[in-house]
Amino acid sequence: MRVAGPVWMLLPGLVVVPVLLRLPQSFHGGGWDLIGRFALAAVTPSLDPTVLRSVAGGLGVTVAMALLGWLLSLLLGLPLGLASSRTVWRSLCGQEGPALLIRRLLAIPRSIHELLWGLLLLQLVGLQPAVAVLALGLPFGALVARVVADLLDALPVGTLEALRAGGAPTPAALLTALGPPLLPGVLSYSGYRLECALRSATLLGVFGLGGLGTELRLSLQSLEFRELWSGLWALLAVMLLLEGGLARLRRHWLMPPRLGLGRPGVGRRSRQMLLALLALLPLGLLLAWGLQVDPRVLLRWQPLPGLEQGDWRMVLALPWAQLVGSTLALTALAACLAVGLAPWLLLLVAPWRGGRIPVRLLWALGRLWPPPLTALLLLFLLKPGVLPAALALAFPNLGILGRLLLEGLDDHPAAVEEGLRSAGVAAAPALLYGRFPAVADSYLAYGAYRADVMLRETVVVGLTGATGLGSQLVESLAAFAWDQVLALVAVYAVLTLAGEEISDRVRRQLLGGPRAQEGVPQGLGWRGTVKASGAGASGRS
Amino acid sequence: MEVAAAESAALLELRGIRVHGRGRPRLEAVDLRLRAGERVALLGPSGAGKSTLLAVANGLLPPEAGTVLWEGQPPERSRRARRRQQARIGTLWQDLRLIEELSVQQNLNAGRLAAWSWPRALLNLLLPLESDACRAALARVELDPALLAQPVARLSGGQRQRVAIARLLRQEPTVVLADEPLASLDPRLAAELLALLLRQAAAPRALLLSLHRPDLLVGFDRVVGLRQGRLRFDLPRAAVDDALLQELYGGEGG
Repeated sequence: MRVAGPVWMLLPGLVVVPVLLRLPQSFHGGGWDLIGRFALAAVTPSLDPTVLRSVAGGLGVTVAMALLGWLLSLLLGLPLGLASSRTVWRSLCGQEGPALLIRRLLAIPRSIHELLWGLLLLQLVGLQPAVAVLALGLPFGALVARVVADLLDALPVGTLEALRAGGAPTPAALLTALGPPLLPGVLSYSGYRLECALRSATLLGVFGLGGLGTELRLSLQSLEFRELWSGLWALLAVMLLLEGGLARLRRHWLMPPRLGLGRPGVGRRSRQMLLALLALLPLGLLLAWGLQVDPRVLLRWQPLPGLEQGDWRMVLALPWAQLVGSTLALTALAACLAVGLAPWLLLLVAPWRGGRIPVRLLWALGRLWPPPLTALLLLFLLKPGVLPAALALAFPNLGILGRLLLEGLDDHPAAVEEGLRSAGVAAAPALLYGRFPAVADSYLAYGAYRADVMLRETVVVGLTGATGLGSQLVESLAAFAWDQVLALVAVYAVLTLAGEEISDRVRRQLLGGPRAQEGVPQGLGWRGTVKASGAGASGRS
Repeated sequence: MEVAAAESAALLELRGIRVHGRGRPRLEAVDLRLRAGERVALLGPSGAGKSTLLAVANGLLPPEAGTVLWEGQPPERSRRARRRQQARIGTLWQDLRLIEELSVQQNLNAGRLAAWSWPRALLNLLLPLESDACRAALARVELDPALLAQPVARLSGGQRQRVAIARLLRQEPTVVLADEPLASLDPRLAAELLALLLRQAAAPRALLLSLHRPDLLVGFDRVVGLRQGRLRFDLPRAAVDDALLQELYGGEGG
């Protein structure tokens, strides 16, 4: 008998058992009083006006960096996405070759984490606001391009062919036939990217690129936990506001107007979106002016020391196997924890009404916390190693996966669960049987995508001196050993691309079965399509 | 004396049920008793409140006013005890509510979930459990036991109906509620399925089945007519004539 989907959702969570067994040996003994003070500070954040003012200032800078980086990523990603779409090339000049070439080239900026981009650019041009913006914009732009291309190529081309057969010029036919169906996916993905940009801008700050992240790290290192929490709560508020606002926008634009409520009006939605887009451009310019982003500094490169007399034998002598091995182990452990814990947590709280609230809060905290801060905090208690790094990496991803799982569950009809409940089945098994089977495959597919993201993110926790390629990278950066840095970045890129390939295969396997779901695009996984198809099926009241 | 009282106690009793609705109540002052061995048809035009009545009967919908008694007892306050009560009431849903992603055997065993412990619920997703009981359940609905390993999504419409009934049998309920189970079936299949359901509802068990086709009443003991949320009649089948049905469906354009 085939092992059922829900089991695969729960299986990775079993990794908790060895983790819990290992945990006691990992404590170095001290630090509990610090953790206690830290926890206490959560309910007594500092309300000192000076602190609040600096929090507000830092948050402003972080949000501005995030918005600018996001805008840049859209400006880069949307045209590049069109340029790497097979459908577009096939329609315009009859061959797909150029699309594949551009796709390959874009894989390189995508495979390097925004933090690496930030640190490399920091070395090249010095500490400038433009560095953070560019560091966000480049990899995100490549990601957006890939998703846009995947979405485009997954669209059925019947209407396009019909229009062209009717004599419409190709660009007009492309716009009319593929534009409207492309829009929901692109919109919902761009919104998601904005959330990512806010998280990443905070993260870049933690590594010294300015904004709230920098202040959070300084507060943590000087053990000023109450100030730390003032910043964290403010960040949480902004993050939830953003998520809520984006969800509203998605509903507003993607749900079909219900019968009788409001007049839809021809093209009104497109006009609204175009206006919103146009309003974003001056906003971007204003922000750039406010942040004093000066693109010209990007051209003034500082010479890189040490590259010309690179000692490649030293580079080869690095313990590569061990570095790569621990990076992969870290990824696997973190991925199992994140993917497996989300469904377990939901099952555990299922019997209690309102039990989801603390879980949701935990997940929101996870999404908000920059992983290096979690790692630093864990190092108060734990010896450095794979375990604290994996925990720090798993926490934010648990937050993201958990929210997606909840959204997915809520998007499916409740009928089966209701039926089981009214036959006297307890809440948790009813959830397991009634809701999990329908989302299992798409959740796991998204988990595979997330594992590949986590591989890229190992650099973030590695940089806090925990383990793997990341910690080696930090040493090499500190020693200005540019040859090593380049080699490490290259290895990271290769690993990420290989990981991407594997997770793509897993996803195709999961989603391409006999009951293939509505052509889930690869880069996006789950979210956009669930929303888009939900929009087609029924308006949620 | 005590035994006689237990025998005469209704398996399901509704007293003065009222369910709020938009405009007029969806159910108003509904009384209904279902005793062991009784096979009762619930008739009425669309929108009469048949589905609402069944939802109240299986505990899905708490009534605004009135009492539901299961085997003579009101719904328990403790959730565990209440679940035990609900496990004795099996519902055949109009949309069947099978778990598409699971195999037939796993679906049949889903009928046992109320009785099973947690580890068993998990194990059912991994291994074929209680195969003999599942084969027996399939045999009772006249399906080939070889279907056990099939995913439910691959079955035909008629097979799916039978699997849903077999799951109901695995639950071992005393009351079977069925919400228009024949609505989307062709006449031959509908007759077969109805015969099957009536056969399963012998003595210790009782059946309440909602219908919108008055031509399928053969085999029922009693007929209950519902219109605009109110009971219009509750009579032995022999006493239900065309005039009564005309009145029940009247004004609906036939």
